[in-house]
Amino acid sequence: MRHRAAVAAAGASIALLLAGCGVVPGFPGLPSAAPSQIEASQLVPASPAPAAPTVDPSAAAALSPDGFDTVQRMAVRIRNVGCGKLSTGSGFAVDSHTLITNRHVVAEAQSLQVSTYDGRDVAVATASTAKLADLAVVRTRDALPSAPQLGDTDPATGSRVTVVGYPEGGALTITQGTVVGTTKDPLNENLGEVLVTDAPVEPGSSGSAALDDAGRVVGVVYAKTDDGHSLLVPVSTLRSILADASQFTPVTPCS
Amino acid sequence: MSDEQPFEGFGLARPAPEPAPASRPAPRRRRAAVVLAVLLVAALVLAGYLWYSADHWHADSDAWQAQARTHAAKVVDLQAKLDASAQELASARDQLATATTRITQLANEKAQLGDTNAASQQYLDYQKRVSTAAGTVADALTRCTSGQQQLIQALRTPDQYDAADVQRFADQVATLCKQATDANTQLQQELQQ
Repeated sequence: MRHRAAVAAAGASIALLLAGCGVVPGFPGLPSAAPSQIEASQLVPASPAPAAPTVDPSAAAALSPDGFDTVQRMAVRIRNVGCGKLSTGSGFAVDSHTLITNRHVVAEAQSLQVSTYDGRDVAVATASTAKLADLAVVRTRDALPSAPQLGDTDPATGSRVTVVGYPEGGALTITQGTVVGTTKDPLNENLGEVLVTDAPVEPGSSGSAALDDAGRVVGVVYAKTDDGHSLLVPVSTLRSILADASQFTPVTPCS
Repeated sequence: MSDEQPFEGFGLARPAPEPAPASRPAPRRRRAAVVLAVLLVAALVLAGYLWYSADHWHADSDAWQAQARTHAAKVVDLQAKLDASAQELASARDQLATATTRITQLANEKAQLGDTNAASQQYLDYQKRVSTAAGTVADALTRCTSGQQQLIQALRTPDQYDAADVQRFADQVATLCKQATDANTQLQQELQQ
């Protein structure tokens, strides 16, 4: 009897041992002799807390090599040297050799002098004014630093706009506001409706680009109302006029 | 062969005992001994392997700890470098912001100087035009005065001139003087603006 019990116990032990092999992990092998095969990156947490300031990719894309962003690089200052008068205005590039500004900025000019955000002078080739809107196109001989994209549609009421220009002929200035509505042009300079915003502008801001949050041009500043609002030629008007070359007539120099 | 004989004729005769199983346990004991021996050998092998493995694990653990210390030192060094780089980056950004602000200021100053220069050039041109106009007016007034003097001289000696010629000359002088006076008036008005 005792022998049978011993055999049964041994069998049970082997059975338990075999059964245990099914639930416990495999027996570990011998350690390797070279722990340095582990990469250092495996010792670092997968998502460490940022220890250094980071640059947002969109912000990095907007940066230029000289630290000025695209919004500033596209803006130009226009000096209208007329016959016995001098005035300044703003403008912005739409391609490497084309500027958009207001008709009244370049009107009655004996010469136009354009300078960029960093003070470089840009030689002007020709200037043309639109018939049905307070817009003008200036072609330059020298290349312009940067050009924004034109928006596809006019901004809706409540949309934020950023105006980049040279108010009072001073330093390059960026102001912000929102579109408060549309109205008929009180100056009768533009066909169709114009945009009204609360972005602050001053004389000299004429021709400034109004940009949406994506940096696209949605309007061109051309006037300021008595109640402090700014009037914009909407981008739809700009697009339609740019698409029709017959809309423009060359600027006649004063004499 | 046994010497014992069965008791015949007695009711109390007991049966002859069965022969004892002297030869049956031997194989079982041997098998059990073999099994135990195998188990013992297996246990010894397992113990040896575990000892050998534990020794290796111990050595490996020491190596890992040494490497962990090395990596920790590297992490500390890299963290210090990262902090230094972050400070340099922040400093560079400040410098860049200062530089861009200064560039904007310089561009504005240049633009203002350009405006001043253009305005000065326009004023210079204006002064040139005024000077030229003043010279023209002065010349016209001089000619007017000279004509008037000649006319006065002619009127003092009417016998020496034809009356019609004197009258025509007087008309010419009057026209000249009127033009000179108008030009002078215009010039004065221009200067007053």
